[in-house]
Amino acid sequence: MTARLSISNLSKRFGPVIANDGVSLEIRPGELHCLLGENGAGKSTLSSCLYGLYQPDQGRIVIDGEERRFRSPADAIRASIGMVHQHFVLVPTFTVLENIVVGTGAGWRLDTRAARRRVSELCQRNGLQLNLDALVGDLSVGEQQWVEIVKALYLGARVLILDEPTAVLTPQESERLFTLLQQMTADGLSIILITHKMNEVMRSDRVTVLRRGRVVGTVETGSITREELTQMMIGRQLKQIEAEDRAGSGAPAVVTISAVSLRDARRVAVLDNLSLELRAGEVLGLAGVAGNGQRELFEAIAGVRRTERGEIRLDGKSVANLSAADIARRGVGYVPEDRFRDGLVPDLTIAENIVLGQQWQAPWRRGVLLDAARMREHAARSIADFSIATTGPGERIRRLSGGNAQKVILARELAKATRCLLCNQPTRGLDVGVIEYVHGQILRKRQDGVAILLASEELEDLMRLSDRIAVIFRGRIMGILPRHSASIALLGQMMAGTPLEQAA
Amino acid sequence: MTLLAWSGWRIERRSGRSSFALVSALLSAGAGAVLCCALLFLAAGADPIAAFAALAKGSFGSTRAIADTLVRATPLILTGLATAIAFRARLWNIGAEGQVFAGAMFAFWCQSAIGAAPAYLQIPVIVLGSLCGGALFGALAGALKARFQVDEVIATVMLNYIIIYALSLLLQQGPWTEPGGFFEQTAMVPDQAKLPILIEKTRLHLGFVLALVLAAILHVVLHHSPLGYEIRAAGSNLRALQVQGVHAGRLILVVFALSGAIAGLAGAFEVYGVQYRLKSGTLGGLGYTGIIIAILGQLSPRAVVIAGLLFGALLNGSTLMQIRTGVPSALIYAIEAIILMFFLIAWAISQFRLRRLRDVD
Repeated sequence: MTARLSISNLSKRFGPVIANDGVSLEIRPGELHCLLGENGAGKSTLSSCLYGLYQPDQGRIVIDGEERRFRSPADAIRASIGMVHQHFVLVPTFTVLENIVVGTGAGWRLDTRAARRRVSELCQRNGLQLNLDALVGDLSVGEQQWVEIVKALYLGARVLILDEPTAVLTPQESERLFTLLQQMTADGLSIILITHKMNEVMRSDRVTVLRRGRVVGTVETGSITREELTQMMIGRQLKQIEAEDRAGSGAPAVVTISAVSLRDARRVAVLDNLSLELRAGEVLGLAGVAGNGQRELFEAIAGVRRTERGEIRLDGKSVANLSAADIARRGVGYVPEDRFRDGLVPDLTIAENIVLGQQWQAPWRRGVLLDAARMREHAARSIADFSIATTGPGERIRRLSGGNAQKVILARELAKATRCLLCNQPTRGLDVGVIEYVHGQILRKRQDGVAILLASEELEDLMRLSDRIAVIFRGRIMGILPRHSASIALLGQMMAGTPLEQAA
Repeated sequence: MTLLAWSGWRIERRSGRSSFALVSALLSAGAGAVLCCALLFLAAGADPIAAFAALAKGSFGSTRAIADTLVRATPLILTGLATAIAFRARLWNIGAEGQVFAGAMFAFWCQSAIGAAPAYLQIPVIVLGSLCGGALFGALAGALKARFQVDEVIATVMLNYIIIYALSLLLQQGPWTEPGGFFEQTAMVPDQAKLPILIEKTRLHLGFVLALVLAAILHVVLHHSPLGYEIRAAGSNLRALQVQGVHAGRLILVVFALSGAIAGLAGAFEVYGVQYRLKSGTLGGLGYTGIIIAILGQLSPRAVVIAGLLFGALLNGSTLMQIRTGVPSALIYAIEAIILMFFLIAWAISQFRLRRLRDVD
C-alpha cells in the first residue's frame, strides 16, 4: 500500500531550539494516525509544517507520490490537507453554510445552490445532522467542530489534521466525534490526530511517538499497551498516584458556599443558586464542560469576583467585604485556569512572580524597598523544590514553557494555601511527568489538612484524586458523588445536564 | 516567525537578544540620521559640514553653551521621565503637556501667596506647589479612566487644551496679567523666588540638578520598590495583579498623579529658573517632546536623561546654526523626528535576523 502522505527527514529549528529533528513519517490512506508526545515534543510544529504555517528548514513532504512545498496554508489546502484547530476559526454570526463556503476562493459571487448541494451531500455521507441555515453561534461546541470538519472536507481534504479535538467536548460528544472519525477513515480519509489522552490514542490505527523533536517510533496501536506508550513518550516509567479513598471523612468545613448566584456582563446567570462545602483535608473534584461557571465559582471564592446573591464563608466568616489580597492572607491559594492571563506577569522575573501580590508584605520588604536578595533566595529554593527548568531566578516568565510557568504559580499559591487551595485545571497542557508531580503536591496539601477544590477536564484524574466529585452544569451543581460511586458514564450524563437523581 | 523568505534566505524574529545586533543597529541608525539631516541641510542651501559644526559649537562650544544645553534639557528630561513612568504601566498619558502648565500655574499661585518671603521658603513652596498642581491635574485624567473607563489618551489630550486656554484666559487682561503690560504674561517674579544659578555667568539653575536627582530616584522606585514593581507588572499584565487583589483603579490614580507631578516640576523650573515670569508660549511643546524623549529612552529613566540631553543640545545649537549657515532653526524639529524614526527602525530591526537556509530540498 502506498502512503497518502510521507514526510522524510523533516527538520525545523527556532533559533537554538530544534523543534523537529529529522522527522520521518508515513500516513496511509484511510488510517487514523495519532501523534503522541509531551509538550514541546514537536507535535504542533510538525502539524504546522504540514499545513503550511511554518516552512521546514529541511526535509521532504510527499503527497500521493508527488513532492510538495507549502508556502502558506492555501498551498496545503490545494494539496488536499485540512486542519481543525483547537480554537475554532468560525464566524458566529454567519450560518453554517456561510461558514463552510466563506473564503473558499469562489471569486466574488457565491454559488450557494451548488455549495448547499455539496455540503449536504458531505453531511449525509458522514451521517451528520447539521442544519445548514442555523447560526454557528447557536450551535453547541461539538456541532461547531463538525462544521470545521465539514469545511475541511468541502475544501477537498484527503488528509485531515485534528489538534486536540476533544479538549472542549463532553465525554458523550467525544464519543460521537470518534464514531464520526471512524466513519470517515472507512471512507478513505486519512486523519492525523494530535492528542495526549491515552484512551483516545488507543482507538487509533497507528501511533507515532515524538520526544524532543525526534520520532521515537511508529507502532500499530493493537500491538502495544498504554504503559509501553507512556514509557516511549517520556522515556521512563511513570508511577500513577492515587489517593486513598476516604470519602465522607466528616471533617469540618473550611469554605461554605451557600446559594451563590452571579450574572455575567450580558446579565446571563453563570452561577445559579450554587451551594458547596470544602472540607479540611479533603479534595472536592469539580467536573464539568468548560464554560459552565467553573471559572466564576473559583473567582468568587478567591475574592476576584463579587457575588450578587448568597454567601461565601471562610472559616465561618463571610468574605463579602474582603479583597482578593485579604482572602489570600487568610490562607487561600488560587491556581487560575488561564495561567498567562490571570496568574503571571510575563515581563517580570521568576523571583518577582513568586511574590506577586505580596509586594508590600513583610518578608519581601526592607524599609521602603523590595528585598531583592531575599526574593532571589526564595525563588532559587522554589526552582529547586519544583525542579523548574530555567537559567535562574532572574529569568523572565515570558521565556518559560507552559509547564514551568505553571510550576511558578504552584510554588506561589501552595505556599499561601494553609487553609484552602483552589486549583482550576492545574495540569492542563502539562507534560505527564509534571502532572504526576503536581498531583503529588496537591495530595500533600490534603495530607496537611488543607481544603482543596480541584477542577479538571481529565475525569480519570478527578476520579483518582478526589474524595468527592461535584458536577457543574450551567452554574448549577447537578450532584455530588463520593469517589467510589462515580463513573465516567455517570459523570458524563451529569455534565450534559442530567441531575444525579435522574441519571442512571 | 518568518517575515519574509526568498531563495534560500529568510528574515525571522530573534529568539533572544543580541547586544551585537543592537549596538550595530543603533550605530547605523545614528549614521542614517546624520546622513538624512545632511540632505536636509543641503536642501536648505547650506554646507552640511558647516551646519553640523555650528550645531556642535552652539551646544557644546563653551561653558556657557554647555550650560545652556543643560538648561534646555532640564524640562525635557522631566517631561520624558513623566511620560516614561506612565507608559511603563501601559497608561498612555499624553497629558504631560497640560501637566507642565498645571504645575507652573499652581506653583505661581502658591508663590504669589507668599509674595516676597525669604528664599529658603520660596523654593520649597515652588517645588511643592508644582508637584501638587501637576499631580492633581494628572490624577484628574487618572480618575476619569479609573472611575468611568474614559480612554486616557482622549482625556489627557482634551485636558491639555483646557489648561492651556485657561492660562490664556488668566493672562489676557485677566487677574494674572502684568499690570500695564501688553503681552500674555505675568509680571517678573521677585528675586528671592528665582532658582539659584549654579555656575556664575551662565543660566544653569538648580532645576537641572533636581531633575538628575529625580531621575535617579525614579530609577530606584521603578526597579526596587513595591510601587515600581506594580507599575512594571501593570505594564505587562494588569489582570494578574488584579487577581492577586491589587486595586487597579488606585494604581492608575497613583501613576497618573506621579507622572503629572514630575511634569509639573518642569513647568515651575521654566518659570522660576529660566523665564522668571509665567507666559504660555515658552511652556508649549515641552510635554509633547517629552513623549519622543521617553520613547527614545526606551522608558528607562537613565536613558531618558541621555535622550533629554541630546535634544537639549540640538535645540540649543540650532540658534548658532541658523546664524552661521542660514539653516532655519525650526529644522531642528524635523531632525528630532528623523532621529526618533531611525532609532525606532533600529530597535525593530535588531529584533530580527537574516538567516541562510540549508538544504531546503
